[in-house]
Amino acid sequence: MASPAETGQVAIEARDLVKRFGVLNAVDGVSFQIRHGEIVGFLGANGAGKTTTLRMLCGLVTPTSGTALIDGIDIFAEPLKAKARLGYLDEEPFVHPHLTGREFLNYIADLYRMARGPERQQRMERLLGLFELADRNGELIGAYSHGMRQKIGLASLLIREPSVLLLDEPTNGLDPRSARLVKDLLEELASRGTTVLLSTHILEVAQALCRRVAIIDRGQIVATGTMEELRAQAGSEQASLEDLFLKLTAGPESKELIERLLAPKQ
Amino acid sequence: MKESATWTILRAEVLALRHRLLKRKPGRLVGLALFLTAAGVFIGGGAFTVGATAGQFLPSARDSMLAGGFTALAVLMLVIGFPTVIATFFVGRDLLQLVLAPVRPIEIFAARLLLAMSANVLISLILLTATLGLGVGSHAPAIYFVLAVILIFLQVLLATAVQVILMSVVLRWVPARRARDVAAAVAGLAGAGFYLAWNLSLRQSFSPRGRPDLSNLTSLVNRIEWLPSAWPGHALSAVIAGNPGAAVTWLGLSVALAGLVLAAAEILYERTLLTGLGVFGGAQSVWRRDPPRPAPVDLAGRRGVGSPARAIALKDWLGYRRDIRRLSRLLPAFLFPVGYAVSFIRPGRSISGFWTDVFLVGFISMFLSSSLATPSIPSERRGFQLLRMAPLTMWQVIRAKVILTLPPVLALTLLFGAVVAILSGSGISQLTALAVLVVWLGLGFVSIGVSAGGIDPRFDAADDRRAVGLVGTLAGLGGSLGFGLLSVGSFALFVFGLGAVEGTTTHLGPIPTTPAIGALMWTGGVTLAAGAVAVVGMLLWVANSRLGSYEGTIAAT
Repeated sequence: MASPAETGQVAIEARDLVKRFGVLNAVDGVSFQIRHGEIVGFLGANGAGKTTTLRMLCGLVTPTSGTALIDGIDIFAEPLKAKARLGYLDEEPFVHPHLTGREFLNYIADLYRMARGPERQQRMERLLGLFELADRNGELIGAYSHGMRQKIGLASLLIREPSVLLLDEPTNGLDPRSARLVKDLLEELASRGTTVLLSTHILEVAQALCRRVAIIDRGQIVATGTMEELRAQAGSEQASLEDLFLKLTAGPESKELIERLLAPKQ
Repeated sequence: MKESATWTILRAEVLALRHRLLKRKPGRLVGLALFLTAAGVFIGGGAFTVGATAGQFLPSARDSMLAGGFTALAVLMLVIGFPTVIATFFVGRDLLQLVLAPVRPIEIFAARLLLAMSANVLISLILLTATLGLGVGSHAPAIYFVLAVILIFLQVLLATAVQVILMSVVLRWVPARRARDVAAAVAGLAGAGFYLAWNLSLRQSFSPRGRPDLSNLTSLVNRIEWLPSAWPGHALSAVIAGNPGAAVTWLGLSVALAGLVLAAAEILYERTLLTGLGVFGGAQSVWRRDPPRPAPVDLAGRRGVGSPARAIALKDWLGYRRDIRRLSRLLPAFLFPVGYAVSFIRPGRSISGFWTDVFLVGFISMFLSSSLATPSIPSERRGFQLLRMAPLTMWQVIRAKVILTLPPVLALTLLFGAVVAILSGSGISQLTALAVLVVWLGLGFVSIGVSAGGIDPRFDAADDRRAVGLVGTLAGLGGSLGFGLLSVGSFALFVFGLGAVEGTTTHLGPIPTTPAIGALMWTGGVTLAAGAVAVVGMLLWVANSRLGSYEGTIAAT
């Protein structure tokens, strides 16, 4: 049986997205397609345009030109329909500090008009248990550590089972066990048809999880494809993702920088 | 020679302030400067004139006024300046950097003291201008003016040092952020209380008829003149009276006390710093951790489909209950109607009829709406992004906020309206008319308040009172005034029109009131009401479109 990724239906599509902030071209003509059930890594240096692209894809930022489609629905033309299928986790999750974890999940479930009842309650408890937040009764999110906020942010996405997930640094601040849990969870979700676009600086995570990667540099996609395709593109068959990334987003050689920094005082 | 760390810290703060100012739009900067100049001239000029007049015409009350002024300043600074002192000395992640750096605690203390004094210095400027005015009115010698500046500075120093001492003790048991929030709540309440007390005592002391009656003030000051906070006042009054011995004694006592308190504050602060970094830092303290218990059968246990409006309302309600800073904004809003109601209920107070009630409920409704409704959207903070990502229209968000804010505004205004209407001897028909007006005004003012917050939200603002920008504030004020005038005008035309149609009113000024004139008045009333609705509708529409196109990033606050 063909996996959802192989059926060819497009879940996320960026069509020539451009975003200008004054004179700065934060995103400059980004286009790509991601099929159902795929996990795609979205890589780029700091300030390369990853977060702006993700925020355009989920409708938080209006593009200067171009558009974004979620399950074939234009997020700017039919925002409510598209948003109902979408989950976005920011690198600093949007949470309410004066709610407890359980109250926050209820809040999100109500915002998305999820049916109330034992099924929702059980799902919530399962998620809280999974992320080791179940015993935090009475503790407000404001008192959570960064990693715990990340977990409650993820739980708030998973409680409503969106078909498309846009994740900005989802393992940021997580302990190794939780990071592993997130990786396993994403693989399982993808096998069930959920599409994941994952922005990360941790190239090992991208290499381990993602079938394809897209690399953005100075607002433009400089490479996209599977590891094999990227290696072929770079002309280096043994290259790791780190090597490819550094080659495609070329900056000053780190060795030269270190030598300059540590040069003996005159 | 190496520069003192105190200056390094202060220079960095000044640089940061400069950057914050320069980041603003030039138009806004000019507007702010003009506003500050106008406010300075108005408040400073007023305080100077009051001081000069009192110095000239009330020579026997000079000592009481100076002693009372200095004590009032100390109390005001102690109550209102607390949040600034806590924020500067005990909260803030930059403190961690300073504690870790090879900087002597006394240098941190000195720099922080100067920074923390800024709020208290601003408060003290009012007393300074009044004291200088009193000196001019009393034909005081030149030394009086020099001493006035020095003694007021000493008073600021003293109040700030006392605050540091108190907080150094309190923070051994209470987390700094919690203490700051409680202090802000107390300051908000105290500020509103001071304003009301001042307003009511002014009315009592300076009634329209007869001479000012300062006996209450002087007898109060006679009871507190031994307080150290009154000593600088005695020193200044001794200078005016030409009694150098007494002046030097009071001055010496004031300086010695300030020195002692300052030294104690420094020692205690140093010890608090060394107690450990756990007191400081950015993490919110865990105030309460419940023991593990089975999951509650709460909202999720109920049947039906989740309602976004209900979810937003529940979340806001929980936020109000748990966020002391938000509560601190809410409580003064409730204090004002209570205070004004009490002032009208006092024996001997005559309420001048139905139309006074109309204007009073209009004012209370507008005041409550602007306090509660205006920050309701910006107070979402970063959580606003959750609403933007949810399958909701901004119109649904605005509607939810209006529905949430309306009940307390209506309840309080109706209660207040009923009390003043009954006291002014209004009949059941007037009471009913007043109730209809209250509902109408509440709906309009709350919608305008929510819209104002939606037109120019400042989601990054840590304080709800700064959560709406200039455009939103002006839109809210303009809209409220327009809506209020049109509504009250329409209401008047309906009431007078009804009288004309029923024949109970024969003349309205020089106009004879026939049924035809009554019908004309009703037409005018409908037109004005339609205008009022148009004002509200326009603001709601602008807020909806501005929120729909909002795409700014919202920093973590």
